[in-house]
Amino acid sequence: MKEHIRTLLEDLLPLVDLDSDFLFAELDSLGVTTILMVLSQEYGIELEAKDATPKNLRSLDSIVEMVNRRLAEK
Amino acid sequence: MNRLEDYLREHAQSSPQRIAFQNSDGILTYSELWTAVCERASEIESETSRVYVLRSAHDFDFIIDYFAAHKAGKVVVPLEKDLPDAQFQGILELTSQADMPGDVTDILFTTGTTGKQKGTMISQGIIIYDAENLIDAQGFSSDLTFIITGPLNHIGSLSKIWPSIIVGASIYIMDGLKDLPAFFKVVKDAPWKVATFQVPATLRMMIQFGEKQLRDCSEKFDFIETGAAPISQSDMEKLCELLPHTRLYNTYASTETGIIATHNFNGGYCVAGCLGKPMKHSALTIDDDGFIVCQGKTLMIGYCGDLDETNRVLRDNKIFTKDKGILDEEGRLQLAGRDGDIINVGGFKVNPVEVEDAAQSMPEIDDCICIPSPHPVLGTALGLLYVVKEGLSIKKKALAKHLASKLEGHKVPQLYTQVDKVERTYNGKLNRKAYMTG
Repeated sequence: MKEHIRTLLEDLLPLVDLDSDFLFAELDSLGVTTILMVLSQEYGIELEAKDATPKNLRSLDSIVEMVNRRLAEK
Repeated sequence: MNRLEDYLREHAQSSPQRIAFQNSDGILTYSELWTAVCERASEIESETSRVYVLRSAHDFDFIIDYFAAHKAGKVVVPLEKDLPDAQFQGILELTSQADMPGDVTDILFTTGTTGKQKGTMISQGIIIYDAENLIDAQGFSSDLTFIITGPLNHIGSLSKIWPSIIVGASIYIMDGLKDLPAFFKVVKDAPWKVATFQVPATLRMMIQFGEKQLRDCSEKFDFIETGAAPISQSDMEKLCELLPHTRLYNTYASTETGIIATHNFNGGYCVAGCLGKPMKHSALTIDDDGFIVCQGKTLMIGYCGDLDETNRVLRDNKIFTKDKGILDEEGRLQLAGRDGDIINVGGFKVNPVEVEDAAQSMPEIDDCICIPSPHPVLGTALGLLYVVKEGLSIKKKALAKHLASKLEGHKVPQLYTQVDKVERTYNGKLNRKAYMTG
């Protein structure tokens, strides 16, 4: 899943270093929205404003954890 | 009182403990702000240059510097925080060498009506008239927290600081809206009602991912203003439904014209494109070709160091815009589109030529064109179609990074597509129309 998400986001956020452990700091509001939108469409999960926290978007690993949590709640 | 700093001093004396500015790091009362401004102004006064160029940031140092430079009698030139160094130096040289009238106090750099970067000169008088327009039309009051999330060098943000300071309101500054939970926490924790300015793209984002929070905060929003780009009818209607008691304004303004007209679309007439009647210090007409012509006390003085361009746009105390519109039977402005190649991305105007020039400076690029592309959040995003020279290759990331080193953030395209060729007209010019019509 991690590599699939990386491929999805790499194309849409070419300036963002997806290997960073400070990913949230690299994002702007458009980047955050793009991540929420792409992941909710790709995995059929509901993501909203409260998910866009620095903790959830700290790194690619934490994004994967968030998606897995939401998938488990489905 | 005819200067912003006069109001600041007045509030520091009459309401010293009132919060003037707040961010995630802390608060700055009117008294603390005025003291810091006076101290900083005495340092700035000793600098020999008449202009004071600084990068904007969402911190108190920028706020203090902005007011202090005014107090010290300097011309303040606030620039985007991520402006590449070469452009910063260019602006520093331009503004330092240019002749400018004595009443100029601010130079705001904008893409302007042709897309080329231009320094729009304004005075304290213009600032006060802009502020009075907004206070009168939108109801700024002292028991309000205005949340600013946009870049502080932009008129969309500065023009909210001005009326807030005049009425003695509080201002909360946030660097963008990427932390939506933090934004809604500020709304909930504010001691009284809040107001904010958001471009249509960020309102779209709030509707899409923060619908519940918006509804939960509906009693806290006194008013929300949007502008700088068209907002869709469906988003307007959704906002009216989520925030039934909030005044929702769509405003017509630009750095050159100042704040001209505004319309509360939650007041019974909710129609996309309606920007309301001119405010008290402003007037507008439509010329024979359908373009909006602005008059009044908020018009710019001119472009810094560019008399030709000033004379092209500003004649007979009127600004001739490239926006098309009509005035309805009630005298309300209805926006009907824009002429020219400028691409509006989330409220920022971008000249595609500037992006193409930056891309062409890469040795691997043979040809390219920057075009508007549909985007689910922004409405319109920048797309770059590029042709790579034979035998060479380039990664999208490297291209994007190169552009980011040459351009401000909002001018860097979001979408990149390698193509075999770029359409050109018979005389070799880029055929933009071929891409506009799809």
